[in-house]
Amino acid sequence: MGALALSDQILDFKSWAKTNAEAPVTRVPTTCNGCGNRCAIFAYVKNGRLWRIEGNPEANGNQGLICPKGHGYIHDLYNPDRIRSPLKRVDGRFQPISWEQAYKEIAQKINLIIMDKGPQSIFWINYPQPNHAYALRLMHALGSPHYFTHGSTCYTARNAGWNYTVGKLPSNDLANSRYIMIIGRNPAGGIDLGQVADITKAKSKGAKLVVVDPRHSETAILADEWLAIKPGTDLALLLAMINVMVKEGLYDRDFVQKKTVGFQELEEQIINYPPEWAEKVCEIPAKTIMRITREMAALKPKVLLHRGYHGAFGCQYLNSFQTVRALAIANSLLGNINREGGIYFAQSAELGELQPKHPVPEGPKVPKADGTGIPGRYPLGSYGDGIAHAIPELALRGELKCGFVYHHNPLRTNPNPQRAIAGYKKLELLVAIDTVLSETASIAHYVLPESFYLEREEAVDTKHSGKRGQVSIQQKVVERMFDTRPGTQIIIELAQHLGVGRFFEFNLEEANELRLKPLGNSLAGLKQKGVLFVGKPWKEGFDKIDTPSGKVEIYSSTLEKLGFPPIPRWEEPLVSPDPKDPHSFRLLHGKQAFHTHAMTANQPYLMAISHRYDLIRLWMNRRRGELLGLKDGGLVQIKSLVGEGKIRVKLTEGIHPSCVWLPSGYGVFSKHLTTAYDLGLSYNDFLPTLFDPAVGHAMSSEIIVQVKKV
Amino acid sequence: MARYGMIIDETKCVGCFACRVACQNQNNLRENEAYNHLEEREYGTFPNYTREFLPVQCQHCDNPPCVSVCPTGASQKRKDGVVLVSEKDCIGCKYCIAACPYNVRIIKKEGYIEKCRFCIEFVEKGGKPACMTTCMTGVRIFGDLDDPNSEISRYIAKNRIRLKQFKMTLNTRPRIYYRKA
Repeated sequence: MGALALSDQILDFKSWAKTNAEAPVTRVPTTCNGCGNRCAIFAYVKNGRLWRIEGNPEANGNQGLICPKGHGYIHDLYNPDRIRSPLKRVDGRFQPISWEQAYKEIAQKINLIIMDKGPQSIFWINYPQPNHAYALRLMHALGSPHYFTHGSTCYTARNAGWNYTVGKLPSNDLANSRYIMIIGRNPAGGIDLGQVADITKAKSKGAKLVVVDPRHSETAILADEWLAIKPGTDLALLLAMINVMVKEGLYDRDFVQKKTVGFQELEEQIINYPPEWAEKVCEIPAKTIMRITREMAALKPKVLLHRGYHGAFGCQYLNSFQTVRALAIANSLLGNINREGGIYFAQSAELGELQPKHPVPEGPKVPKADGTGIPGRYPLGSYGDGIAHAIPELALRGELKCGFVYHHNPLRTNPNPQRAIAGYKKLELLVAIDTVLSETASIAHYVLPESFYLEREEAVDTKHSGKRGQVSIQQKVVERMFDTRPGTQIIIELAQHLGVGRFFEFNLEEANELRLKPLGNSLAGLKQKGVLFVGKPWKEGFDKIDTPSGKVEIYSSTLEKLGFPPIPRWEEPLVSPDPKDPHSFRLLHGKQAFHTHAMTANQPYLMAISHRYDLIRLWMNRRRGELLGLKDGGLVQIKSLVGEGKIRVKLTEGIHPSCVWLPSGYGVFSKHLTTAYDLGLSYNDFLPTLFDPAVGHAMSSEIIVQVKKV
Repeated sequence: MARYGMIIDETKCVGCFACRVACQNQNNLRENEAYNHLEEREYGTFPNYTREFLPVQCQHCDNPPCVSVCPTGASQKRKDGVVLVSEKDCIGCKYCIAACPYNVRIIKKEGYIEKCRFCIEFVEKGGKPACMTTCMTGVRIFGDLDDPNSEISRYIAKNRIRLKQFKMTLNTRPRIYYRKA
């Protein structure tokens, strides 16, 4: 009740709005923090209070648009659940502590840990923010290789597949494409505003959109054709498409000859995967596979198979890496690599360095304990991202002793929460840097409150780069409400207290100036506009790409040396539901358009949508549901090896019968998040701790659950 | 004098609710007060299935039942076609809510009735409705129906046979035109 009354007091500004109807409005360009896209926005402030936001039309990434999460998340500025000062946990309860005292105590503990176990027992994990370079610098200054992102629970398989084929992760030139096929990715649900706007543009020019997804996604609503594939079998579809391209000679001969290696080996192996075979595996008719492949090939090279993201092959299956390899090869056969309307390499904005003015710390001398990049362990894993969900295991084994968790909530985003909690609780020191007491912050020894994004300056950002490089900046829109500090300032102050201040003898302002310098842009100019185009425009074609051969590697000798298939071949998913058991389903998950992970679940404006439209439900195929005696809205119990929970179902014809689909973003179990607490479930509640043997990703859709009527 | 109207292209709505929250911010609404509503409809059986979202908001009818039933004259039709509720004249009797066939009026916590205002104060300063400018697929087109060169007039001229009004048989004569398939 207390929280409600308070929120009313803070949120109800009708009377304020009236008396200030004529008050001057200021407009500040900044970037949104409601998800990882960091869309460029204009924030409008009346009398010191945030009013609303608009999209910045010059931003590549969001093209003047804003999604529901962006609009909703601004209200978290005034959310009564925000942390108001640094906190220290004493006998299980948080007590306010001063910044100075918190830094001192953290430094004392870390010094002991370093003496006892060495600097490599310290780690930092964050959901990447513009200042991630400073976090990495801090870890390197301390002598630890253990900087992590959430990547292994999100996208590392996708990135690895593209890296081993074309040398890096490319982008999609959706706006100029004439035929777009999207597998698993749902840009209209896990919103990417620019991508959806580009798809809309392409469609208005007559492009065809085919969406492959076991569930009728938000993007499928826009599609000309929805292919309801059996989950975990996208690789079979792609192999069959390649088979048709090769057998019928539909590929771009010139491109294949000049720009790829290994076509001959592909030709020999791909005969094993005709569409008739694929139909039995993935349940898409052979005729459809042939027709779509021919339709695409007829319009090449202005066609593309979307590069993908989390869904289908970001980190989902045992076969995800091979699926991305096949996807990249299918694109290459269509001759669309770095072509207009195809797959292209985005222009990057090359920021300047802080050195020589500020010395750069030496790289760490020990390998990462998670085994990324090490033959025999996770050789295809991303060293830069690390394996986030290995942290609890490394903590339980005593290899990691102390952790900083910044803008991230592994207790909710890691698989197997019981295990994650056990691991993070084992740490001798856990410091959380957040704006609210998330599940992870709730068990931290110290919580350092970051200022809300609208209250702080941030590092210059290159996230918006596309056909042209772009820099963007997050800047302060309103005065700080509480005793909080900007993330970058916290990193710098931590460094100073931890005895590595010599690598951080700068403030954010100076660092931003130095980083912008080679681009010829001033910080003042950037602050005025919010985003600036930099560098040269994109050009079609390429001479050499970033692979060992300099060409597209249909055949990868690197993979062969590491003991993996050099040409993609069919691999079964790790687990499959029992077709004879009416209770057995694969558990899939995905984003709703109005929530970002569990981060926005505590936002009343967004949660109001979930409630009003009854959207905290498990999707299940209607006929499967009826076999279980269920009616739409009925309650079920979900059970797996590691967890169980109850939720109501949405019975629909819009999902493959072999799976159920859980919207992610719910299942918050921190009592400090009063709007979101105890609503819905998270797929992570049911997912055991798994590591793909090559990449180390979490294999988040390799879960078979038992679903029963309650 | 402008005569305002709106196109809603049903084929483009993915049901993301950006319009709802953008509108809430623009109009200083609470989290449970919304002028924009989305109705989801499903068709077919697996795998030959599709669904759509129908965005519904005040239709700014030319024959508005809410105006004729209002005992105090709080609900009014302006010359430019926009239907507005005067907060100071509204006594919260809810006759208009009962009369509106589109179920788009809400009771504000303060006791008066409100609904979509086509962001008219904003439009008069040269802006566009918040629901329109935020939309990633461009579901809505807003403008002056009397100006033959406005985007909306040109759209209507080109797509007339594909457009229909919501619950046309009720003779409410809405100012919002829906594009189907």
